Amino acid sequence: MDDVASQSIMIGILAAGIRLATPFLLAALGEMFVQRSGVYNLGVEGVMLMGAFLGFFVTLTAGNPYMGLLTSLAIGAVMGLLMGLVSVTLKAEQGISGIGLYMLGWGLSGLFYRLYVGGITGIEGLQPQPIPLLEKIPVLGPVLFQHNIIVYLAFLLVPLAWVVLFKTSWGLKVRAVGTTPEAADTLGVSVDKVRYQCLILGSMLAGLAGAALTVGNTHMFADNITAGRGFIAIALVYFGRWNPWGILAGSLLFSMADSFQLFVQVLGIQFPYELAVIMPYVVTIIALAVTFGRVWAPAALGRPYERGSRG
Amino acid sequence: MKKPSWIRRVALGMVALFTVGLVAGCGGGQQAAAPKAEEKVKIALILPSTIDDAAWAQSMYEGIKAVETKMGKDKLELRVSERLSKPVDAGAAIRQAASEGFSIVIAHGSQYQSVVQEVAKEFPKTTFAYGTGFQSGPNIFAYDPQAQEGAYLLGFLAGKLTKSNIVGIVGPVEAGDAIKYNKGFEQGVKAANPEAKLRIAYTGSFGDIVKAGELAKTHMDAGADVITGSSQQSVGGIKAVAAKPGAYWLSTDMDQSSLAPETVLAAQAYNWEKVVTKMIELRKAGTLGGQHLTISFAEGNLDLKINPKLADKIPADVKAAVDKAKDEIVKGALKIEVSSK
Repeated sequence: MDDVASQSIMIGILAAGIRLATPFLLAALGEMFVQRSGVYNLGVEGVMLMGAFLGFFVTLTAGNPYMGLLTSLAIGAVMGLLMGLVSVTLKAEQGISGIGLYMLGWGLSGLFYRLYVGGITGIEGLQPQPIPLLEKIPVLGPVLFQHNIIVYLAFLLVPLAWVVLFKTSWGLKVRAVGTTPEAADTLGVSVDKVRYQCLILGSMLAGLAGAALTVGNTHMFADNITAGRGFIAIALVYFGRWNPWGILAGSLLFSMADSFQLFVQVLGIQFPYELAVIMPYVVTIIALAVTFGRVWAPAALGRPYERGSRG
Repeated sequence: MKKPSWIRRVALGMVALFTVGLVAGCGGGQQAAAPKAEEKVKIALILPSTIDDAAWAQSMYEGIKAVETKMGKDKLELRVSERLSKPVDAGAAIRQAASEGFSIVIAHGSQYQSVVQEVAKEFPKTTFAYGTGFQSGPNIFAYDPQAQEGAYLLGFLAGKLTKSNIVGIVGPVEAGDAIKYNKGFEQGVKAANPEAKLRIAYTGSFGDIVKAGELAKTHMDAGADVITGSSQQSVGGIKAVAAKPGAYWLSTDMDQSSLAPETVLAAQAYNWEKVVTKMIELRKAGTLGGQHLTISFAEGNLDLKINPKLADKIPADVKAAVDKAKDEIVKGALKIEVSSK
């Protein structure tokens, strides 16, 4: 193969990897805040589906993709609030309520789609917005700087999330509430309030992750369009050890492996497709296994906080 | 977990109420025993995806709807259960439909083969149908689309119309229909254009629309300009190809040209209306199953549809060659090999 073709293929692999990583990054960064505050939200997939549908639907009806994105953030906030009501206020078992939230999101998004859209329909959606000058850089330009706005936003959120979590007093509260809620409570931090805030923020990002798939990438909606990405995002939070940089590494590793295996298949390299398809999962598991260090998790993760009780 | 507060009690009460309601709702209407003179055909349709998936499931749903229109709304009752891609979940729905007295239960997927075989023994008076498959039973119809036939013609078109001499397949999983379709397509491409390269890749899923779109983009990045693919995820591939001017998509299962009128060149469409009508007639004549129903050009229940908007893109001699190949398939002069390897 000549050099020009192999270079364009390499750019293709990397650009697709960046595109594929976007929904994982958004959803996983959101879930990171939620888990850092001590709550599991297994309903990420359901929130993504609602964000995916409403983002698509509003873009379709209002004709403006940014209205769609705002709506997906808003529905995320509502579903985060709902999860907070069930898991923080009512102190229900978090794993179960998360699965409930997932099913609610899947069911409602499919139902609304049937009632108000009724079939595969395309939208204009977000178009790539190349960044002036930077897009001209050879290789790096087409890989990093010719995407739509959600892609840039997702990657900019990584350092931002790190600053918020480790350098602000709110971030300190989040970490305190997720490790020693009793101590945080004693110091006058409202455990419930912080957990609500994290659930709302995290679900807003999950809603946006859903819109990244419909408004950003495919410009359409179909039942169950997320196809399990919300659950992978949760796994990536563990992979990234509840740290934004770790989550970035995990999302990129998984997505790059995925786009790479698609190229391996397309170019007809002699390799069983079954193995190619599972490559991203295998690479991620291996990376997880060989990165040494104690597995650390927020100590109060999954434990509803009740004042005066000892977990 | 001490002293339940009032709010938790209310919540628990609501859950309990809801559960009771659900159970009551589902349990209602349990009439066993098939009606004597079946004045009304009751069909239960079990689907792996949804009736609006623009592919496999929708094509069957529309086929049955067409039968209903022909027979009259009062002569046919249809109940659809969707999103049952897992055979275990489908099994419950199949058994439920049979026990409620539905006369024909159509489980629309090859993955339902064993569960249909199992349930059919318990309801010997009910007709079951599933496909893609060929293993029938005393009260089971197995329907079997010859996906390779239309695929051959589409492959032929692809081979003639590609300018880059690279054609791509966005496959779901290497199994069943997808194998037949890909094999037929491959032979069509070869017959039309020995120079053309066919690249086959799979997403590993039937329903991952986003991945199908990425795979189509990957094909195009690597030079393909005519792309095809089967299963419900293919709509993602179509949308991705539609974003690139000058590239074409070839459809299977149903005519998908409405999704992208400037991109979908032609389609292989299954005529389920004829298949379902045949099942209803056989049952009326006392044949509850035991047949292997083929969907093929020769049977007249397989169609090749050219998108009228793009018909002028197909040169007359190519069109004539496609028609000739179709004739030969019908006559049996042209055999398309599907056995693997």
